[in-house]
Amino acid sequence: MTEFLQTTFDKFIFTVKVGYLYTEDDYWVDIRDAVATVGVTDYLQKSNGDVAFVEPVKPGKEVKRGEELGEIETIKVTLNLISPVAGKVSEVNQELETHPEFINSDPYGAGWICRIKLADPEGTKEGLLQAEAYIKIMKGKLEGEAG
Amino acid sequence: MSDKPRKVGIISCSGEAIPGGTISRVACRRVLEDLRPRQSVTICLPLFIAGGEEERMFADLFPTITVDGCEKRCAALGTERLSGKPTKTLIVTEILKERGIPPTTKLRNLGLEEKAAAQAVAEEVAAAIDEILAT
Amino acid sequence: MNKENRKVAVFACSGIGKPLGSVAREIGYELTERVRPDTTVLTCLALLVINDPDARKLIAENPVIAIDGCVLDCAKKSLEANGAKSVRAYQSIDFFKKHSHLKPEGIAELNEAGKKLAALAADELAGVVDELLEEEVKNV
Repeated sequence: MTEFLQTTFDKFIFTVKVGYLYTEDDYWVDIRDAVATVGVTDYLQKSNGDVAFVEPVKPGKEVKRGEELGEIETIKVTLNLISPVAGKVSEVNQELETHPEFINSDPYGAGWICRIKLADPEGTKEGLLQAEAYIKIMKGKLEGEAG
Repeated sequence: MSDKPRKVGIISCSGEAIPGGTISRVACRRVLEDLRPRQSVTICLPLFIAGGEEERMFADLFPTITVDGCEKRCAALGTERLSGKPTKTLIVTEILKERGIPPTTKLRNLGLEEKAAAQAVAEEVAAAIDEILAT
Repeated sequence: MNKENRKVAVFACSGIGKPLGSVAREIGYELTERVRPDTTVLTCLALLVINDPDARKLIAENPVIAIDGCVLDCAKKSLEANGAKSVRAYQSIDFFKKHSHLKPEGIAELNEAGKKLAALAADELAGVVDELLEEEVKNV
């Protein structure tokens, strides 16, 4: 099975991991046993530049979908991280404190940001996109940026 | 679907120790940002050499123009070694000589003369892009 | 050149796709023109691609500082692949992390914040230059 879908724009290759779920605002979610691992997509990290700092919220925090999950500071911008799911933050990726660049180099793997114990696992999945649907949205954004 | 390429990769030597390297770098960015933004892509030479997948893929599939700061032609020779002969090779010192522009001397903090030299080189690169995309 | 007159060879990635590449280039200039002009030499990284004999000799016989823009470490990799004797490697992004109020912008022309960041980075690297040369003298 293909592990990644990809699209090319100019010289840039944008990947989308198959098997994860996505939001339109470029977050990925991997749900296993009612726990969601969350991160940002290749498109988001490429668009915003090299990550210098990551400040996720602390474990124990309850979040609703759309609420703040922390901050990423890149060379270009400071981004508010927005939770793609509702639940309780159970773990944050400690490696990002010393290796924030994992978000750039491996956004779907070592660059995971936090884990959230879901309030409603089945309901959560319904609100998210499959990889094939997300890549279409991503391509639309790239074409829009090209003007 | 047309077989004509719609983008050209520009590879600057960006040589740090020679004035022509800085002119090459500034000129290539001028082409990308102002003169031919939809028709050009810059390929980062150090990343290209170090094995950057995107740089190499682009150079394999699309036409390339190398812009060297001096006659050593590091960008042209490097591109040929790693990807194949560039479609067009340009040298800053030669362009300036042909246009009657005195060689520049600054490595950084460019003044009006150096910026004018960079503009002249950028125009040559843009013309080369037009020529490649027209054929 | 005998060991007492050794210089530290400085290479910058000059990545053309990001302001961090321009910061790396500017750090190279600050270090070799302002901070340690008598004990450093800036050399074109691209010369290694064409196996330039003078460049290869320089890195084989002298200590080297590589200044990369980001974690891709292109300059460091090129230097090591071409037989550099010893490479101390630094990344612009690490200097940014220490001075994150100085956000670099611009590639062809770096903004004032980027230039200040480069100046601070070069000041920090002055000690590295001195240290490398002391080691060279000790090894005579």
